Amino acid sequence: MFLTNIYKELKDYTMKRRINQVFSLMLLLCLSNAIFAQTADEIIAKHIKAHGGEKKWAKVESLKITGKFTAFSVEEDFYTYKTKAGNYYSDRYLGQHKILEVFSGESGWTIDPWQGISYARNLNSAEVNVFYQKSDLFTPFYKYKEKGLKVEYTGKENVEGADMFVLKLTRKNGGQETWYLDAKTYLEFKCESNWVDFAYPSQCETYFEDFQKVDGLVLPFYVERTFGQRNRVTIIENVDVNPQIDKAIFEMPRRKEMKKLAFLEGDWDVQIAVMTRRGTWYPLGNTTSNIEYGATNMLEENISYEMNFPVNMKINYIYSESTGKYRLSVFNDLESSINILEGESIDTAMVVDDLNVSYGQNVPSTGNVQLSFNNIQKDGFTVLRKISRDKGKTWMPRGKLIYTRKK
Amino acid sequence: MKKKTLNACLVALIMLLQIPAVFAQHNETNSWVQFRGINRNGVSSDITIPDKMPKLVWKKEIGMGFSEVTISNNRLYTMLGERNDSVSGSTFVAAFDAKNGSEIWRTKIDSTFFDVDGFGDGPRSTPAIGKDYIFSFTSHGKLTANALKDGKTIWQVDFVKEFGSTRPRWGFSASPVLVDGVLIMEAGGTDSRAFIAFDIKSGNVLWTKGNGNAGYNSPLVAEIEGKTNIIFANGRTLYSLTSKGDTLWTWAIPVGGPMAMPVVYDNNKIFISTLRGGFVTAEIKNNTVTQLKTGPTMKNDYSSSLFYKGHIYGFNVASLQCISPETGKKMWTKRGFGKGSLIRVDDKLIVLSDKGKLAVVKAVPDAYNEIGRVQAIKGKSWTAPSFAGKHVFVRNLTEMACYVFN
Repeated sequence: MFLTNIYKELKDYTMKRRINQVFSLMLLLCLSNAIFAQTADEIIAKHIKAHGGEKKWAKVESLKITGKFTAFSVEEDFYTYKTKAGNYYSDRYLGQHKILEVFSGESGWTIDPWQGISYARNLNSAEVNVFYQKSDLFTPFYKYKEKGLKVEYTGKENVEGADMFVLKLTRKNGGQETWYLDAKTYLEFKCESNWVDFAYPSQCETYFEDFQKVDGLVLPFYVERTFGQRNRVTIIENVDVNPQIDKAIFEMPRRKEMKKLAFLEGDWDVQIAVMTRRGTWYPLGNTTSNIEYGATNMLEENISYEMNFPVNMKINYIYSESTGKYRLSVFNDLESSINILEGESIDTAMVVDDLNVSYGQNVPSTGNVQLSFNNIQKDGFTVLRKISRDKGKTWMPRGKLIYTRKK
Repeated sequence: MKKKTLNACLVALIMLLQIPAVFAQHNETNSWVQFRGINRNGVSSDITIPDKMPKLVWKKEIGMGFSEVTISNNRLYTMLGERNDSVSGSTFVAAFDAKNGSEIWRTKIDSTFFDVDGFGDGPRSTPAIGKDYIFSFTSHGKLTANALKDGKTIWQVDFVKEFGSTRPRWGFSASPVLVDGVLIMEAGGTDSRAFIAFDIKSGNVLWTKGNGNAGYNSPLVAEIEGKTNIIFANGRTLYSLTSKGDTLWTWAIPVGGPMAMPVVYDNNKIFISTLRGGFVTAEIKNNTVTQLKTGPTMKNDYSSSLFYKGHIYGFNVASLQCISPETGKKMWTKRGFGKGSLIRVDDKLIVLSDKGKLAVVKAVPDAYNEIGRVQAIKGKSWTAPSFAGKHVFVRNLTEMACYVFN
């Protein structure tokens, strides 16, 4: 009995000890997480302080940065606008070509002749990830929680002979970056991230040097970036704090050839008329149309009307780089068909037809189609629909749509 | 004692006989007779230079081109291009006085080359100086021999017409090499004419070998296990030939095709670096190649690395770096030179940044140790410096300059 009691006590003692050990271990794990989380935020607080401090940056709405940018070993002037809201505008040379880059915090556009596209195009997803990085006002860690970013402190590392705090940053889109902050200055030394090389994903290393003060704000005046075989150097010469910015610079510009078709844009009342056998116009009724830019190089029209049966049409207007002409794709839901028309805009009229569209063996039994855009004025224009049964030698009017801008 | 002296003389005599005959009149200290110098390794070691920056002697404008400056008998030779307008122009081989840079002669050898990507127009290849002639290769693929004395054209061969060679996107770039009295080129021709040897006096073809297009690499000449190897990095294959066109060995390069020159070190080891694949080292024994080490710490683009006292110095993309070829360990790195170039003189690296800054750096592995730097020439500078007789010569697309170590 006595021995049993001793054994039980011993068992209880061992059990208690084990429980205590497990409990201590769990506590230690929780505490260590807490310590690391606290340390990450402490590091970031000192990092922001090293950049001039929260109070100083709270007053900054925008920056205009000017200086020299080197690509392909050629140094040229550049300027960039950045706003607290995440807007970014950059005008620079990449080798021999001038590049415009604009980002609005979530999406953006670029004019980059290196890709054989001379007009504004939307950024792809890999580029968007890069522009999240480019548009940071000064560091991604500033108010990172408010911006939906996550940070993990993974410890210290020695990089090129100096101790660094290593922070793993996860962007809202899942993009991951590794930041190395100098353990003495708390300023950034290096960042490893995903970048783009001519729009294709690439791994990147960015180095930050020559930190200088501007109105109490501390910024790196030398930034060197290497991705794949590329090397880019940004040398800042001047920083304007809270400059005047014309908001229009952030708007995606229309392709210059599409400006000729600007008369189409708007909400329209449309009168429909058809040509009778006697050669007179017979009014068929009214409808409405909406034409607006769907992209920098595309106007989209939606129009519906009823000629015995309801017809819904979607018309896309673009400028074709390959032919140097305007091209229309006309989708007719009644016929379930798409017709392609191509032509030119000369002076105050545009004429497009399907004469040069290859139909193979199945030449349309209804003949070729031509649309003439005439009487173009500020608040209206007329579209004349003609057909030809002799491959364009003669055209016979068939329908007319008179567009009047809605008031 | 007498026996010892006799042996020493014999060894010296054998060593002298091993130097290719054509270089007999040149030595490392007073000449830079071809691409990357007399031994094609970017090194001039039989000289001592002070721990100081060299001083400017002269600077002048020069036509566009990426050819290195070659030097012999106090004359500089290089290639250059000049535009007539935006679509036409001429390529010249030219001679200059090393003392003041004044032009002695120039001879038109081709129309000029316009780069489709705007990276820089003009010739890419560096001429090779022979006993009486200079041999140059234009970006359009014309190999020409000109008299050193007055520039008179002796003969010319058009690779595109004669051998069906296809011009690479950025122009023919290989630099000619003279070995055992034979002129050897990477030609990139069809029908087993990737590599061709020419008779120096007539330009007649002596032998042809191999299959492969012309690239951006130049043949390397190196002594490996006592034999002269002419090494071509053609695409992803390394070929080693004798000056008679016999194959010594070939090897599929595991890290891709290099643009930078391979580096031969430690008598029978080779270092190859590519932009995408990093570096690889290999050992050659009895004409059999065995891979030793690969690593990501040295990724050469168009600028070649060099070897000194157990370490490789070169541009890892755009960082000047020192690594151990044995372990791949990065010893030190220095940014700020862009995609620069380097040579070694004595125990120092002569570095030219991609924007024309000339720096002198001690070639030591323990730490980056810069003696000084100066803005030597202005603008894009992708051509490595040349060295002869205490003088450093640099050129780019618009300027050429001479600096001297006093």
